[in-house]
Amino acid sequence: MKDGNTPFDHKPDRMLGDALRMALTNQGQAEFVARVMAAAQRPADQPLMDVLARWARLGIAAALTAALVATIVASRGDRAATESAVGGADPEAVVAGVQAPEAGVLFAAYTDR
Amino acid sequence: MATDPQRPGAGARTAGGVDEATLTGRARAGDRDAFGELVRRYADQARRVARAVLQDPEDADDAAQDAFLSALVKLEQYDPSRPFGPWLMRIVANAATDRRRRRRVRQAEALDEGLIAGGQRPDAVAERELLGERLRQALAELPERRRMAVVLFDVEGYSHAEIGGILGMPEGTVRSEVFHARRRLRTLLTDWREEG
Repeated sequence: MKDGNTPFDHKPDRMLGDALRMALTNQGQAEFVARVMAAAQRPADQPLMDVLARWARLGIAAALTAALVATIVASRGDRAATESAVGGADPEAVVAGVQAPEAGVLFAAYTDR
Repeated sequence: MATDPQRPGAGARTAGGVDEATLTGRARAGDRDAFGELVRRYADQARRVARAVLQDPEDADDAAQDAFLSALVKLEQYDPSRPFGPWLMRIVANAATDRRRRRRVRQAEALDEGLIAGGQRPDAVAERELLGERLRQALAELPERRRMAVVLFDVEGYSHAEIGGILGMPEGTVRSEVFHARRRLRTLLTDWREEG
Protein backbone atom coordinates (compact mmCIF):
# COMPACT_ATOMS: atom_id res chain seq x y z
CA MET A 1 0.00 0.00 0.00
CA LYS A 2 1.44 3.34 -1.01
CA ASP A 3 1.57 6.12 1.51
CA GLY A 4 -1.17 8.63 0.95
CA ASN A 5 -3.46 6.17 -0.83
CA THR A 6 -7.12 6.72 -0.25
CA PRO A 7 -9.85 4.16 -0.80
CA PHE A 8 -11.10 6.30 -3.69
CA ASP A 9 -7.87 5.94 -5.71
CA HIS A 10 -8.62 5.18 -9.28
CA LYS A 11 -5.47 3.15 -9.75
CA PRO A 12 -5.01 -0.37 -8.45
CA ASP A 13 -3.28 -0.57 -5.08
CA ARG A 14 -0.13 -2.54 -5.80
CA MET A 15 0.54 -3.64 -2.24
CA LEU A 16 -3.01 -4.65 -1.47
CA GLY A 17 -3.22 -6.36 -4.85
CA ASP A 18 -0.04 -8.34 -4.26
CA ALA A 19 -1.17 -9.39 -0.80
CA LEU A 20 -4.56 -10.51 -2.11
CA ARG A 21 -2.93 -12.32 -5.04
CA MET A 22 -0.74 -14.23 -2.62
CA ALA A 23 -3.74 -15.06 -0.44
CA LEU A 24 -5.99 -16.24 -3.28
CA THR A 25 -3.65 -17.99 -5.70
CA ASN A 26 -4.00 -21.76 -5.68
CA GLN A 27 -0.98 -23.90 -6.43
CA GLY A 28 -0.84 -26.41 -9.25
CA GLN A 29 -1.62 -24.33 -12.31
CA ALA A 30 -0.33 -26.99 -14.72
CA GLU A 31 -2.52 -29.66 -13.12
CA PHE A 32 -5.52 -27.39 -13.32
CA VAL A 33 -4.94 -26.66 -17.01
CA ALA A 34 -4.54 -30.39 -17.72
CA ARG A 35 -7.76 -31.10 -15.85
CA VAL A 36 -9.71 -28.50 -17.81
CA MET A 37 -8.36 -29.77 -21.12
CA ALA A 38 -9.24 -33.36 -20.21
CA ALA A 39 -12.76 -32.30 -19.27
CA ALA A 40 -13.06 -30.32 -22.51
CA GLN A 41 -12.35 -33.46 -24.53
CA ARG A 42 -14.72 -35.68 -22.59
CA PRO A 43 -17.99 -34.61 -24.25
CA ALA A 44 -16.65 -35.47 -27.71
CA ASP A 45 -15.38 -38.89 -26.62
CA GLN A 46 -18.23 -40.12 -24.47
CA PRO A 47 -21.57 -38.39 -24.83
CA LEU A 48 -23.10 -40.92 -22.45
CA MET A 49 -25.93 -38.73 -21.31
CA ASP A 50 -26.80 -37.88 -24.89
CA VAL A 51 -26.95 -41.57 -25.76
CA LEU A 52 -29.13 -42.35 -22.76
CA ALA A 53 -31.39 -39.43 -23.50
CA ARG A 54 -31.78 -40.56 -27.11
CA TRP A 55 -32.61 -44.08 -25.96
CA ALA A 56 -35.16 -42.76 -23.52
CA ARG A 57 -36.80 -40.64 -26.21
CA LEU A 58 -36.99 -43.65 -28.56
CA GLY A 59 -38.49 -45.83 -25.82
CA ILE A 60 -41.15 -43.29 -24.97
CA ALA A 61 -42.04 -42.80 -28.63
CA ALA A 62 -42.34 -46.58 -29.16
CA ALA A 63 -44.55 -46.99 -26.09
CA LEU A 64 -46.84 -44.14 -27.19
CA THR A 65 -47.15 -45.61 -30.71
CA ALA A 66 -47.98 -49.06 -29.33
CA ALA A 67 -50.60 -47.61 -27.00
CA LEU A 68 -52.16 -45.64 -29.87
CA VAL A 69 -52.30 -48.68 -32.14
CA ALA A 70 -53.80 -50.83 -29.39
CA THR A 71 -56.48 -48.19 -28.71
CA ILE A 72 -57.43 -47.99 -32.40
CA VAL A 73 -57.59 -51.78 -32.78
CA ALA A 74 -59.69 -52.18 -29.65
CA SER A 75 -62.02 -49.39 -30.72
CA ARG A 76 -62.56 -50.93 -34.17
CA GLY A 77 -63.14 -54.36 -32.67
CA ASP A 78 -65.85 -53.06 -30.33
CA ARG A 79 -67.62 -51.18 -33.12
CA ALA A 80 -67.61 -54.21 -35.42
CA ALA A 81 -68.94 -56.44 -32.69
CA THR A 82 -71.70 -53.98 -31.84
CA GLU A 83 -72.78 -53.55 -35.45
CA SER A 84 -72.96 -57.23 -36.11
CA ALA A 85 -74.81 -57.83 -32.87
CA VAL A 86 -77.64 -55.40 -33.59
CA GLY A 87 -77.87 -56.29 -37.27
CA GLY A 88 -77.64 -52.73 -38.52
CA ALA A 89 -80.22 -51.34 -36.09
CA ASP A 90 -79.59 -48.31 -33.98
CA PRO A 91 -77.71 -49.57 -30.89
CA GLU A 92 -79.59 -47.11 -28.66
CA ALA A 93 -82.90 -48.42 -29.91
CA VAL A 94 -81.82 -51.92 -29.08
CA VAL A 95 -80.84 -50.96 -25.57
CA ALA A 96 -83.93 -48.80 -25.01
CA GLY A 97 -86.35 -51.33 -26.45
CA VAL A 98 -89.10 -52.82 -24.31
CA GLN A 99 -88.44 -56.31 -25.49
CA ALA A 100 -85.10 -57.88 -25.04
CA PRO A 101 -83.31 -58.62 -28.30
CA GLU A 102 -83.21 -62.17 -29.43
CA ALA A 103 -80.17 -64.04 -28.37
CA GLY A 104 -79.64 -65.40 -31.89
CA VAL A 105 -79.41 -61.89 -33.29
CA LEU A 106 -77.37 -60.66 -30.40
CA PHE A 107 -74.71 -63.34 -30.73
CA ALA A 108 -74.80 -63.66 -34.49
CA ALA A 109 -71.37 -62.13 -34.83
CA TYR A 110 -69.87 -64.84 -32.68
CA THR A 111 -71.89 -67.85 -33.83
CA ASP A 112 -71.19 -67.02 -37.51
CA ARG A 113 -67.43 -67.32 -37.04
CA MET B 1 5.61 -20.30 -15.40
CA ALA B 2 2.67 -19.46 -17.57
CA THR B 3 1.73 -15.88 -18.11
CA ASP B 4 -0.48 -14.38 -15.46
CA PRO B 5 -2.51 -11.62 -17.04
CA GLN B 6 -2.25 -9.12 -14.24
CA ARG B 7 -3.15 -6.20 -16.45
CA PRO B 8 -5.71 -7.56 -18.84
CA GLY B 9 -5.90 -4.35 -20.78
CA ALA B 10 -2.42 -4.83 -22.15
CA GLY B 11 -0.27 -7.85 -21.45
CA ALA B 12 -2.80 -10.63 -21.64
CA ARG B 13 -3.86 -9.78 -25.15
CA THR B 14 -0.44 -10.27 -26.65
CA ALA B 15 1.50 -12.31 -24.10
CA GLY B 16 3.16 -15.40 -25.51
CA GLY B 17 3.44 -13.86 -28.96
CA VAL B 18 -0.10 -14.61 -30.12
CA ASP B 19 -2.80 -12.04 -29.57
CA GLU B 20 -6.08 -13.05 -28.03
CA ALA B 21 -8.21 -12.29 -31.05
CA THR B 22 -6.19 -14.83 -33.04
CA LEU B 23 -6.31 -17.36 -30.21
CA THR B 24 -10.03 -17.06 -29.70
CA GLY B 25 -10.59 -17.30 -33.45
CA ARG B 26 -8.55 -20.47 -33.63
CA ALA B 27 -10.24 -21.91 -30.54
CA ARG B 28 -13.61 -21.16 -32.08
CA ALA B 29 -12.57 -23.08 -35.17
CA GLY B 30 -11.85 -26.12 -32.99
CA ASP B 31 -8.14 -25.65 -32.29
CA ARG B 32 -7.63 -27.34 -28.92
CA ASP B 33 -4.13 -25.94 -28.49
CA ALA B 34 -5.43 -22.40 -28.86
CA PHE B 35 -8.07 -23.06 -26.24
CA GLY B 36 -5.38 -24.57 -24.01
CA GLU B 37 -3.30 -21.43 -24.34
CA LEU B 38 -6.28 -19.30 -23.29
CA VAL B 39 -6.83 -21.57 -20.29
CA ARG B 40 -3.15 -21.25 -19.36
CA ARG B 41 -3.25 -17.47 -19.59
CA TYR B 42 -6.35 -17.07 -17.50
CA ALA B 43 -6.19 -20.07 -15.16
CA ASP B 44 -4.74 -18.24 -12.16
CA GLN B 45 -7.00 -15.25 -12.63
CA ALA B 46 -10.13 -17.38 -12.96
CA ARG B 47 -9.22 -19.47 -9.93
CA ARG B 48 -8.60 -16.37 -7.82
CA VAL B 49 -11.87 -14.72 -8.77
CA ALA B 50 -13.74 -17.97 -8.08
CA ARG B 51 -11.96 -18.32 -4.76
CA ALA B 52 -12.94 -14.80 -3.78
CA VAL B 53 -16.54 -16.01 -4.04
CA LEU B 54 -16.30 -19.57 -2.77
CA GLN B 55 -13.32 -19.40 -0.40
CA ASP B 56 -12.61 -23.12 -0.57
CA PRO B 57 -9.81 -23.72 -3.11
CA GLU B 58 -11.30 -26.96 -4.45
CA ASP B 59 -14.72 -25.43 -4.95
CA ALA B 60 -13.03 -22.51 -6.64
CA ASP B 61 -11.20 -24.83 -9.04
CA ASP B 62 -14.44 -26.66 -9.83
CA ALA B 63 -16.15 -23.37 -10.60
CA ALA B 64 -13.22 -22.12 -12.69
CA GLN B 65 -13.28 -25.36 -14.67
CA ASP B 66 -17.03 -25.03 -15.21
CA ALA B 67 -16.42 -21.51 -16.45
CA PHE B 68 -13.75 -22.53 -18.97
CA LEU B 69 -15.94 -25.32 -20.33
CA SER B 70 -18.87 -22.95 -20.53
CA ALA B 71 -16.69 -20.39 -22.32
CA LEU B 72 -15.64 -23.06 -24.82
CA VAL B 73 -19.28 -23.79 -25.61
CA LYS B 74 -20.16 -20.10 -25.81
CA LEU B 75 -17.16 -19.01 -27.88
CA GLU B 76 -19.48 -18.47 -30.85
CA GLN B 77 -21.11 -15.69 -28.88
CA TYR B 78 -17.83 -13.94 -28.07
CA ASP B 79 -17.12 -10.73 -29.99
CA PRO B 80 -13.40 -10.87 -30.89
CA SER B 81 -13.25 -7.09 -31.25
CA ARG B 82 -13.71 -6.81 -27.49
CA PRO B 83 -11.24 -7.92 -24.80
CA PHE B 84 -11.50 -11.56 -23.85
CA GLY B 85 -10.69 -11.16 -20.14
CA PRO B 86 -13.84 -9.33 -19.03
CA TRP B 87 -15.99 -11.69 -21.11
CA LEU B 88 -14.39 -14.71 -19.47
CA MET B 89 -14.45 -13.20 -15.98
CA ARG B 90 -18.17 -12.61 -16.28
CA ILE B 91 -18.59 -16.32 -16.94
CA VAL B 92 -16.29 -17.15 -14.03
CA ALA B 93 -18.20 -14.87 -11.66
CA ASN B 94 -21.51 -16.42 -12.70
CA ALA B 95 -20.14 -19.96 -12.42
CA ALA B 96 -18.84 -19.28 -8.92
CA THR B 97 -22.04 -17.61 -7.80
CA ASP B 98 -24.16 -20.41 -9.26
CA ARG B 99 -22.06 -23.04 -7.54
CA ARG B 100 -22.40 -21.27 -4.22
CA ARG B 101 -26.16 -21.11 -4.65
CA ARG B 102 -26.62 -24.66 -5.94
CA ARG B 103 -25.02 -26.59 -3.20
CA ARG B 104 -23.47 -26.17 0.13
CA VAL B 105 -19.89 -25.19 -0.36
CA ARG B 106 -17.21 -27.20 1.31
CA GLN B 107 -16.23 -25.39 4.41
CA ALA B 108 -12.92 -23.64 4.10
CA GLU B 109 -10.36 -24.95 6.51
CA ALA B 110 -10.87 -23.56 9.93
CA LEU B 111 -8.42 -20.87 10.82
CA ASP B 112 -5.86 -21.54 13.47
CA GLU B 113 -7.08 -19.60 16.48
CA GLY B 114 -3.53 -19.01 17.63
CA LEU B 115 -2.59 -17.49 14.32
CA ILE B 116 -5.67 -15.31 14.23
CA ALA B 117 -4.93 -14.05 17.70
CA GLY B 118 -1.52 -12.92 16.54
CA GLY B 119 0.73 -15.43 18.25
CA GLN B 120 4.40 -15.88 17.57
CA ARG B 121 5.48 -15.88 13.95
CA PRO B 122 8.38 -18.28 13.59
CA ASP B 123 9.53 -17.41 10.09
CA ALA B 124 8.76 -15.53 6.91
CA VAL B 125 6.80 -18.40 5.31
CA ALA B 126 4.56 -18.77 8.29
CA GLU B 127 4.15 -15.02 8.35
CA ARG B 128 3.02 -14.95 4.75
CA GLU B 129 0.63 -17.81 5.39
CA LEU B 130 -0.80 -16.04 8.37
CA LEU B 131 -1.29 -12.83 6.41
CA GLY B 132 -2.96 -14.86 3.67
CA GLU B 133 -5.30 -16.45 6.19
CA ARG B 134 -6.19 -13.11 7.66
CA LEU B 135 -6.85 -11.58 4.27
CA ARG B 136 -9.04 -14.50 3.22
CA GLN B 137 -10.93 -14.23 6.48
CA ALA B 138 -11.40 -10.48 5.99
CA LEU B 139 -12.52 -11.03 2.41
CA ALA B 140 -15.01 -13.66 3.52
CA GLU B 141 -16.66 -11.12 5.78
CA LEU B 142 -17.32 -8.78 2.87
CA PRO B 143 -20.42 -9.02 0.69
CA GLU B 144 -19.82 -11.20 -2.37
CA ARG B 145 -19.95 -8.40 -4.96
CA ARG B 146 -17.57 -6.29 -2.91
CA ARG B 147 -15.11 -9.16 -2.73
CA MET B 148 -15.20 -9.68 -6.47
CA ALA B 149 -14.96 -5.96 -7.18
CA VAL B 150 -11.80 -5.43 -5.14
CA VAL B 151 -10.13 -8.56 -6.48
CA LEU B 152 -10.95 -7.68 -10.07
CA PHE B 153 -9.69 -4.12 -9.56
CA ASP B 154 -6.65 -4.39 -7.31
CA VAL B 155 -5.48 -7.91 -8.18
CA GLU B 156 -6.51 -8.43 -11.78
CA GLY B 157 -6.30 -4.84 -12.96
CA TYR B 158 -9.67 -4.44 -14.62
CA SER B 159 -11.14 -0.98 -14.91
CA HIS B 160 -14.25 0.10 -13.03
CA ALA B 161 -16.19 0.08 -16.30
CA GLU B 162 -15.04 -3.45 -17.13
CA ILE B 163 -15.92 -4.66 -13.65
CA GLY B 164 -19.34 -3.08 -14.04
CA GLY B 165 -19.80 -5.17 -17.15
CA ILE B 166 -18.54 -8.32 -15.45
CA LEU B 167 -20.69 -7.97 -12.36
CA GLY B 168 -23.66 -6.35 -14.03
CA MET B 169 -23.65 -3.17 -11.95
CA PRO B 170 -23.18 0.54 -12.64
CA GLU B 171 -19.63 1.89 -12.64
CA GLY B 172 -20.40 4.14 -9.67
CA THR B 173 -21.50 1.14 -7.64
CA VAL B 174 -18.26 -0.63 -8.52
CA ARG B 175 -16.27 2.36 -7.23
CA SER B 176 -18.25 2.31 -4.02
CA GLU B 177 -17.77 -1.44 -3.56
CA VAL B 178 -14.02 -1.16 -4.15
CA PHE B 179 -13.87 1.76 -1.72
CA HIS B 180 -15.55 -0.14 1.11
CA ALA B 181 -13.55 -3.30 0.50
CA ARG B 182 -10.28 -1.37 0.48
CA ARG B 183 -11.08 0.43 3.67
CA ARG B 184 -11.55 -2.88 5.46
CA LEU B 185 -8.58 -4.65 3.91
CA ARG B 186 -6.19 -1.74 4.25
CA THR B 187 -6.96 -1.49 7.93
CA LEU B 188 -6.01 -5.12 8.25
CA LEU B 189 -2.78 -4.63 6.30
CA THR B 190 -1.83 -1.54 8.30
CA ASP B 191 -2.42 -3.35 11.58
CA TRP B 192 -0.31 -6.18 10.27
CA ARG B 193 2.57 -3.86 9.41
CA GLU B 194 2.42 -2.21 12.80
CA GLU B 195 2.36 -5.56 14.56
CA GLY B 196 5.42 -6.61 12.58
